[in-house]
Amino acid sequence: MSKTSISNLASRLSLLIILSFFFTTVRAANAPDPALVSQGEVLFKENCKSCHAVHTQEVGPALKDVTKRRDVKWLSAWIRNSTAVIASGDKYANDIYNKFGKSPMTSFPSFKDEEIKAVLAYIDAEGEKGPEKVIVDGPPGGPSSPEPPKEDPTSTIILILVVVVLILVLTTLIVFLSVIKRFLKDKEATLTEADKELVNQKFDLVVVVKSKMFITIVSLLFVTIAVRACWLGALSIGVEQNYEPVQPIPFSHKQHAGDMKINCNYCHTGAYKSKQANIPSVNICMNCHTHVTEGSRFGKEAIAKVVKAYNDGAPIKWIRVHNLPDLAYFNHSQHTTVAGIECQKCHGPIEEMEIVRQHSPLTMGWCINCHRETAVNSKDNAYYDRLLKVHADSKKKGEMKAEDIGAIDCSKCHY
Amino acid sequence: MNFTYIKLALIVSAVGFLASCNHNFDRIPVHQQPRVEFAPNMYHAESYEPVSVIDDSVNFPEGYNQMPGNEGFGNLKLPVANTIKRGSTPYHISKDSLEFAARTLQNPLVLNDQVLAEGEVLYTRFCAHCHGETGGGDGPVSEKLKGVANLSGGQLATVSEGHIFHVITRGKGRMLQHASQIDANDRWKIAHFVKEKIQKKQ
Repeated sequence: MSKTSISNLASRLSLLIILSFFFTTVRAANAPDPALVSQGEVLFKENCKSCHAVHTQEVGPALKDVTKRRDVKWLSAWIRNSTAVIASGDKYANDIYNKFGKSPMTSFPSFKDEEIKAVLAYIDAEGEKGPEKVIVDGPPGGPSSPEPPKEDPTSTIILILVVVVLILVLTTLIVFLSVIKRFLKDKEATLTEADKELVNQKFDLVVVVKSKMFITIVSLLFVTIAVRACWLGALSIGVEQNYEPVQPIPFSHKQHAGDMKINCNYCHTGAYKSKQANIPSVNICMNCHTHVTEGSRFGKEAIAKVVKAYNDGAPIKWIRVHNLPDLAYFNHSQHTTVAGIECQKCHGPIEEMEIVRQHSPLTMGWCINCHRETAVNSKDNAYYDRLLKVHADSKKKGEMKAEDIGAIDCSKCHY
Repeated sequence: MNFTYIKLALIVSAVGFLASCNHNFDRIPVHQQPRVEFAPNMYHAESYEPVSVIDDSVNFPEGYNQMPGNEGFGNLKLPVANTIKRGSTPYHISKDSLEFAARTLQNPLVLNDQVLAEGEVLYTRFCAHCHGETGGGDGPVSEKLKGVANLSGGQLATVSEGHIFHVITRGKGRMLQHASQIDANDRWKIAHFVKEKIQKKQ
């Protein structure tokens, strides 16, 4: 073997090795180990997703191409303890820290090298996939317009049928009448005077209007309608059902309680433990609206009013919708916590209302009706044990209703 | 004479019969202004109602049920400085002393099924819309408000209950304090629930 051939072989070998390295690295960059990526996905969703997205800037920067911007060693140090990297005077770290409002990234000291690699592999893989198509219209049941309520078709069909049958009967009667009239005209000679008058009579409106019967019926109807209007008007005095005032800030219960599924109790803090359900103080609004500053319907304008009220320390003058008269006592906690009644039972489908409307009449009859129909929620409540025993021994049958333990006594609510 | 009385009685009863046809009060139209009140001075309390101030210059003089010396603020007043709410214990650990709180605070509530059940209810009411029913940080609000922590796994799975209590009380990151909404006892119940149910599930 000559020297040249050996060197030739060596160069070929080295070329092969270099090539193979090159290919493996290219392969690694293009199609990383799927197991590593899926491990990274789990870790990313558990630890990073709340503040970072790959393609968009959220709380922290968008992470696409982060491995091209920084090397793995720097990233590992940053992920494990970002404050230490910032303290070390690293320029890039300090720039990021200042850019994102000087709030440091949570440190993850327990991350192992492989785990960091997996997360980075996942970020690379996602970054190459490109951003996901976002559906602008939002999820079903989101703020898109709801389906119009379907009407029951059977009642309409029945109504149409009845009208058709009545028209048929009317035409048959008219035809029948004219046939009889014609038949009697042929035999006019044989009829008596009275019958002749009846057959030849002309329809005279004036006579009809002037007749005693007509005047009585019309005046009776008129008086009836007037009395009825007065009666209903008197009955609905003080009944504020369907009261829907315009609030100073267009707050939507549909969006907050419906779409976002925020529980009533989150804002109405007293609903389960107090007489009043309470109107939330502005600091509760600010729990979210410190960061969410743009709404879907009114843009920044409406939320800006909330922020302004918070900064000025001035209460927002919401208009009270449900005004139970002071002469009647009502306690939320007794109904929600003790009786276990849902808010919607009285307030209606609040989670579907853009503007809050008084759903129930809040009349005494309405209260009493419910107290008569509702059984006492005595489950796991030792307070009711003796009452239940007394009720079982009494003549009354069935479940123990609220009325059986004095819920319709005058002094229960009026004192 | 007698006949007219009978007639009158007939007419009255006919009118009454027809006028009393069934009426559904749902038909009261949607209205933006309040309707007529029968006896306003029986409806509106003179005492300071916390969430209502009477604004009715026709029936009531100005400032009818308004706390004097609290103009523009209705009947809501801040507590007097340095007073402590009845039944509560002052909490002096500041927001940035999270590590100290996590290390030293102990849950004063005995762990039992009832506390866990109450904790679950409280979690659903106060936490689930952001942190998700299962604590995955995937509640409906987290779509709008990014930065919701995942409680069920990852970094937070190993934190102490003192840490959870302190974060609810003082806030952390984008989450603001929730002490004004949730009583201290209830916060400890939530801490128990998160630790025992959400973080031990997997």
